[in-house]
Amino acid sequence: MMPFSHLAGTLIPAMTFLSYLRPESWEPCVEVVPNISYQCMEVNLYKIPDNIPSSAKNLDLSFNPLRHLGSHSFSNFPELRVLDLSRCEIQTIEDNAYQGLNHLFTLKLTGNPIQHLALGAFAGLSSLQKLVAVEINLTSLEDFPIGHLKTLKELNVAHNSIHSFKLPEYFSNLTNLEHLDLSNNRIQNIYHKDLQILHQIPLLSLSLDLSLNMIDFIQPGAFKGIRLHKLTLRSNFDKMNVMKTCIQALAGLEVHQLVLGEFKNERNLDRFDKSALEGLCNLTIEEFQIAYLEDFSSNDIGVFNCLANVSAVSLVDLWLNKLESLPKDFRWQSLELVNCRFEQFPALALPSLKTFVLTANRDSKTVVDFELPSLEFLDLSGNGLNFRSCCSHSDFGTTRLKYLDMSFNNIIVMGSNFLGLEQLEHLDFRSSTLKQANDFSIFLSLTKLLYLDISHTHTRVVFHGIFHGLYSLKVLKMAGNSFRDNFLPAIFTDLTNLTFLDLSHCKVEQVSQGAFDSLLRLQVINMSYNNLLLLDILPFKYLHSLQVLDYSFNHIVAPKVQKLQHLPSNLTLLNLTQNDFACVCEHQSFLQWVKDQRWLLVEVEQMMCATPLDMQGMPVLSFRNTTCQMNKIIISVSVLSVLVVSLTVVLVYKFYFHLMLLAGCKRFGGDECTYDAFVIYSSQDEDWVRNELVKNLEEGVPPFQLCLHYRDFIPGVAIAANIIQEGFHKSRKVIVVVSQHFIQSRWCIFEYEIAQTWQFLSSRAGIIFIILQKVEKSLLRQQMELYRLLNRNTYLEWEDSVLGKHIFWRRLRKALLAGKPQSPEGAADAENN
Amino acid sequence: MGGLTAALLIWALLLPKGGSGEAWPIHTACKDSSLEVLYQSCDPLQDFGFSIDQCSKDLKPNLSIRLGLILRENIKELFLDIALLTKGSSILNFSYPICEGDHPKFSFCGRSKGEQLYYVGPVNNPGLLVPEGEYQVLLELYDENRSTVACANATVICS
Repeated sequence: MMPFSHLAGTLIPAMTFLSYLRPESWEPCVEVVPNISYQCMEVNLYKIPDNIPSSAKNLDLSFNPLRHLGSHSFSNFPELRVLDLSRCEIQTIEDNAYQGLNHLFTLKLTGNPIQHLALGAFAGLSSLQKLVAVEINLTSLEDFPIGHLKTLKELNVAHNSIHSFKLPEYFSNLTNLEHLDLSNNRIQNIYHKDLQILHQIPLLSLSLDLSLNMIDFIQPGAFKGIRLHKLTLRSNFDKMNVMKTCIQALAGLEVHQLVLGEFKNERNLDRFDKSALEGLCNLTIEEFQIAYLEDFSSNDIGVFNCLANVSAVSLVDLWLNKLESLPKDFRWQSLELVNCRFEQFPALALPSLKTFVLTANRDSKTVVDFELPSLEFLDLSGNGLNFRSCCSHSDFGTTRLKYLDMSFNNIIVMGSNFLGLEQLEHLDFRSSTLKQANDFSIFLSLTKLLYLDISHTHTRVVFHGIFHGLYSLKVLKMAGNSFRDNFLPAIFTDLTNLTFLDLSHCKVEQVSQGAFDSLLRLQVINMSYNNLLLLDILPFKYLHSLQVLDYSFNHIVAPKVQKLQHLPSNLTLLNLTQNDFACVCEHQSFLQWVKDQRWLLVEVEQMMCATPLDMQGMPVLSFRNTTCQMNKIIISVSVLSVLVVSLTVVLVYKFYFHLMLLAGCKRFGGDECTYDAFVIYSSQDEDWVRNELVKNLEEGVPPFQLCLHYRDFIPGVAIAANIIQEGFHKSRKVIVVVSQHFIQSRWCIFEYEIAQTWQFLSSRAGIIFIILQKVEKSLLRQQMELYRLLNRNTYLEWEDSVLGKHIFWRRLRKALLAGKPQSPEGAADAENN
Repeated sequence: MGGLTAALLIWALLLPKGGSGEAWPIHTACKDSSLEVLYQSCDPLQDFGFSIDQCSKDLKPNLSIRLGLILRENIKELFLDIALLTKGSSILNFSYPICEGDHPKFSFCGRSKGEQLYYVGPVNNPGLLVPEGEYQVLLELYDENRSTVACANATVICS
């Protein structure tokens, strides 16, 4: 127990120390951009943090209970550009609270229940351009001490309790003001005197938002002679009559953009008819928008009479139903109709119209031809329309069209090759179904087209000339289509100016080698979400402008690293995430390449292994080369040891007799015997004995000493005596060379018989038989004793082949080495062992 | 003495894991004899208030709801994802744009971090008779950067 408590006693102070030793000194804030941007949202700060570097430009302190801002609260951050103090429960802001923030650009005070705002609260903010003071309990602009903020461009005081629209005197200082948001306040009446300051100092670029104030009264002429950039009045009136008189009271206003209408969730107006807008005749309006008016119905075209000279009209979410017979003298250049529930497609004929947007209208399904000779921009997206034959100038009554958006419609039949629409620069068919796109080169005449989107149009590319003629095209998006046999052929030959190509979700399995050869300006190519098994870089090799190559979400197991050496020279991003990488040693060089090229690869940490099972879902980066080295070591060690063992075996085999010598088996030379063996042979076989037997046994290893009659018999002594004295007496063994001549030679038989007798008399001599030639059985039977022995015992047989000779000599040497066998059986046993 | 030190050691080791992970409480959106709707916020940053005005097995079209929360994100654009599940299998997935940049449909569109979002009004639902059973509804509001604005796990119990 004692050692444990000692251990704990040392660990606890160490851990307490370590817990204070945090790597980031700006805790609990988060460093977004080092030394520039710090995020301290909702981290329960009671005071301004003092551990943020003074170089910080962007500081988010929102949702902290700061409660009180004393003077010079931010003197530590002289470089601040953006300060977010939203929802900081601030009740009091003292004088000079922001003093020193001479570079502050944006100050957000949203949602603070300010009770005491000192007169000098905003002192010093000499560069402030945007002040967000939404929901801060502000009751009047007059008391808001911002008169000195000459640089202010945007003032947002929405959602407060301001009753009076009176723009205070100090607005004469705010000459840069461009946006004033007074929406969601309590302004009911607008008097002439409220706008007095705008008569004195005209703020020509001012956008004024008065939405969500329940306005009862506007003094007629209050806006007379005033110019504004934008005036927004949405959900301001609950009665049609009030709306009518208020709009009439705007008479004399010159406004670039006027926005009227309601919000879908703030519908207050009791009813609506065209007379409500009569007053607009006395305004000068450039752009007009009206949105979300439930009862707006234009069965009577008269509602637009006062808007004849407006250049842009936008009608959003209105019950228009019909929009026919707009007078030809209307000067509208732009018309936008969003979700206007036309039962019939409007057959427009307006000579001045350049831009026409008709979207999100799901009630009519077929197009009626227009007569819009000046039209340059046409957006018919999201209508569920069917086109029986697209497209030619007669459909739209214009030859000037540059922009055509037919996306998110139903079925579009490509029946015409854009006759008369050669000016087109932008063409979008995304998510509509294209028919007959493969019949001929439909885009052949569009030599000025820059942008083409046919993504998800159910197009199956069969015809290789589908993109012929698109010489200027820069962007081609064709995701979500398919190719015949899932093979991407060379269809881009004319697109020499292409910079962006999207081929994702196209089920591509193979890419033709020359598919991208002509795309020398290509910068971005997206091949993600296909079924590519190989990462073949060769088609991109010469695309020197290529910067981004996306191969994510394919089935690439592992590319060949040799192929990856040919990466285009300017490539900066390569995305290989979500492929079926095999993290095995076989692909070790690729896995190492991934580590080396991590600066090039997108989300390299997200590249996961798919196989083998134990690596599944693990990052490719976690693959360790050492596992492969281990395997290599194991393999090389085992190969080496096998080699060593086999070499040893071979050596032992080869030098067996040398080893025997070394091991001390010298006994055969150590006793009284002079010879190792006495050789009995026929003189007819002497050649063999001299050239083979003597040569091999006496000159080989170990050297044996043979007793040969022609050499070792002592002259002058009787042959029989020599045989006994020199032959049997002094030899350990007897070698009998059996041949045809042997059987026939009397001397030989004599010697053999003596040998047999000798064997019985002395207990040591072993007889080794060598059959030099096959002996006829009949001949052999003459020597019954020999025949019997040969039948019963193992003998050596001379063979002329190399292998046979080798085996013969080894067996003979073994037999000669064998100690002192008592009988031929013993010699045979030794051989078998 | 040794026991106390050991306890201190264990306490010190476990301490950093404590802090977070508490789920928001389960609220009732509406309750009736036949239908009950419960919800729980799945946004780690905040809980929010939600109620349905009529609660009936015979679901009326364009139900009136109330929703209140404080924004942690700017919502120039706002999208709603709804997933309906029963017994773990998905029945319906639905995505709906609520605020789109150019044409703010609702008065709260375009509001910024720190502002309130309080919606009282109808939702665009069809009328239907809810079959008996227990359903899970996953609702998520998110902005143009795919940051969660609000998230709820709702349970509809119809008996």
